[in-house]
Amino acid sequence: MQLPWTKTQQTRPNTSGGDGDAIVVSGLRKTFGDFVAVDNVDFRVKRGEIFGFLGPNGSGKTTTIRMLCGVIAPTSGGGTVMGYDVVNEPERVRENIGYMSQKFSLFQDLTVDENLRFYSGIYGLTPEKYAERRAYILRMADLEGREDELTGNLSVGWKQRLALGCATIHEPKLIFLDEPTSGVDPTARRQFWELLNDLANEGVTLFVTTHYMDEATHCNRLAFIYRGTIIAEGTPQEVKADLTADTILQIAVDRGEEALAALEELDSVDEGYMQGSLVHVNLGRRGAEDAGLREFLVDRGFEVGAIDRVEPTLEDAFVHLVTQQGGRA
Amino acid sequence: MRAAAKRVMAIARKEFIHITRDWRMIVAVLVLPLLQLLLFAYAISFDVRNVPSVTLDLDKTAASRSYLDSYATSTFFAVQGSVSDFAGIDTAFDRSEARVAIVVQRGFGDALAAGGTGAVSVLVDGSEPNSAQLGQTYAVALNQSLGRRALASWAEARGLGTVRVGSIEPRIQAWYNPERRSADFLIPGLMIVIIMIVTIQQTAVTLVKERENGTLEQLLESPLTHSELIVGKILPWALLGVVDTVLITGVSMGVFGIPLRGDVSALAVGIGLFIVCALSLGLVISAVAPSLESANIAALLLSFLPGFMLSGMAFPLASIPVALQVVSYLFPARYMVEIARGVFLRGASWGVLGPQVLALAAYAFVALGIATLLNRRRRA
Repeated sequence: MQLPWTKTQQTRPNTSGGDGDAIVVSGLRKTFGDFVAVDNVDFRVKRGEIFGFLGPNGSGKTTTIRMLCGVIAPTSGGGTVMGYDVVNEPERVRENIGYMSQKFSLFQDLTVDENLRFYSGIYGLTPEKYAERRAYILRMADLEGREDELTGNLSVGWKQRLALGCATIHEPKLIFLDEPTSGVDPTARRQFWELLNDLANEGVTLFVTTHYMDEATHCNRLAFIYRGTIIAEGTPQEVKADLTADTILQIAVDRGEEALAALEELDSVDEGYMQGSLVHVNLGRRGAEDAGLREFLVDRGFEVGAIDRVEPTLEDAFVHLVTQQGGRA
Repeated sequence: MRAAAKRVMAIARKEFIHITRDWRMIVAVLVLPLLQLLLFAYAISFDVRNVPSVTLDLDKTAASRSYLDSYATSTFFAVQGSVSDFAGIDTAFDRSEARVAIVVQRGFGDALAAGGTGAVSVLVDGSEPNSAQLGQTYAVALNQSLGRRALASWAEARGLGTVRVGSIEPRIQAWYNPERRSADFLIPGLMIVIIMIVTIQQTAVTLVKERENGTLEQLLESPLTHSELIVGKILPWALLGVVDTVLITGVSMGVFGIPLRGDVSALAVGIGLFIVCALSLGLVISAVAPSLESANIAALLLSFLPGFMLSGMAFPLASIPVALQVVSYLFPARYMVEIARGVFLRGASWGVLGPQVLALAAYAFVALGIATLLNRRRRA
């Protein structure tokens, strides 16, 4: 029998760095004064998985990562990362993970080579290992021949790949990526995800936070965090499963925001949000093809284009889940 | 342990590259301190030289003439000429031809010959209080040293022993700085203040910069510990602080002719500890400051004001209000200024400077600890 306050011990595997899950989190909670940043979060990440940790800004994503890296102590609860206890062995944890944030964390006034050498020193690589990793990273980041360029002069895609290289110079088996593609153009984002897929294929576990829902489809499993609580967890399919019986309409309309506001007043509309310039509304299980929405909008002076029934996207699922929580995404 | 040393070196090397990559930084660290030294040493000089003066000889004896001649050859007073009565002094003051008038009273020669005290008055133009005040001080000091010399030569000419001749009791004695050059007094203190300004300002921004660039977050997610980060950050700056010290000492001795009379090892240990103290103060600012601008301003305030006001560099600490005297113990400069003056001017040794060095060591330990703790807390 386990007592509740032995939670951390309970989840701690016997063999460090063995075959246990990459991340095991139970009852993780962090408060800053009265503010509950992370509220009793539980989840597991298997080895070799790409785990998507999704949620709007301020929902507790970064706080969770920082607790998992042993940078800040949880208020209560705990977990293990690569078999090491995040509360009692933060140094072990940090030696065994890589971390990359949206700021890329490169020293702009250092050259490519100097950045690599710096991180090699921080992770205590031997000279031989450093030479090997340097060659690999330069090739991976497409920076061969540009070793002596100042990092600040690189364009954003190269910076991002160099940052990934620096974060993985010690070949961690688990990498935390906190909004790694934020502010990067779509082409560079796609290339970056190819690199992440390569890493995953080599058996590296990736823990990725993002607020780009399209990126979430790259993940094997997802967790949605909202106001500090995980509101859904599973594969992308599982997360969407709840919605597959619902009718979701995509409406092309001028003055989308105003149209959305008008539609949300209707009883027949459960939830709605903007997907780019298009309005998405969820009509629940009523199954009505059009539900008179076209007439409703035309009556109010909107110019309505195509109205199509669409498969639920992760974004639909997220809005649905948030609406159920009584909030707005 | 080896890994820890490796991490500290990685940070130190990186810091060093930051410094060398930016020429403005090199100027700020190596050239500005020397410019500050030259500027301040000339600007803040309290020396009174070539004060325009007139003489009034009411005695008109060989003794009085010999006495006044000594004034004419002094570099402190530029004797513009002699006047025949007190009205002449008024005129000279009114026309700003003189600020000081030296008056030898009637009976000066007789009094000295009789073994009494020769009466000499020094009149000072009070309309310019600062230079008048200083002029007066110097006049009194010189009056005495010159007066004695004049007496001696006068007595010798008459075949009398100086002991038997009456004299003016010397009241001011400038032992360690016999010429009372304010440069000697100021520069050892100024060196310390300049080194403090450079080191505090540079370290105050270093962690703020890392925080704003997001690189600090990255480092915290690595095996690097807070103490390793702090030590690695301090190392290159401490080294530069030492280089600055050597440069400034060289210029002080070469250009300003400051003597170095005492135990250099006490100075070296003192300055090493002092640099760590100043760097720690910078790191404390770094931990507390919300932005780069506020870090800069805080560093400016914390280095300039206590540096000039509370270090004893310009004003004797005993002469400032008691509350400020208490505050002055909170800044490392006062201990170091004491050590620097001791070693440069008084030829002081370890035994005398021990308490100051110990105070600095304790200060360094505490300040470094506070800096580390504050930076750790900042992240939690």
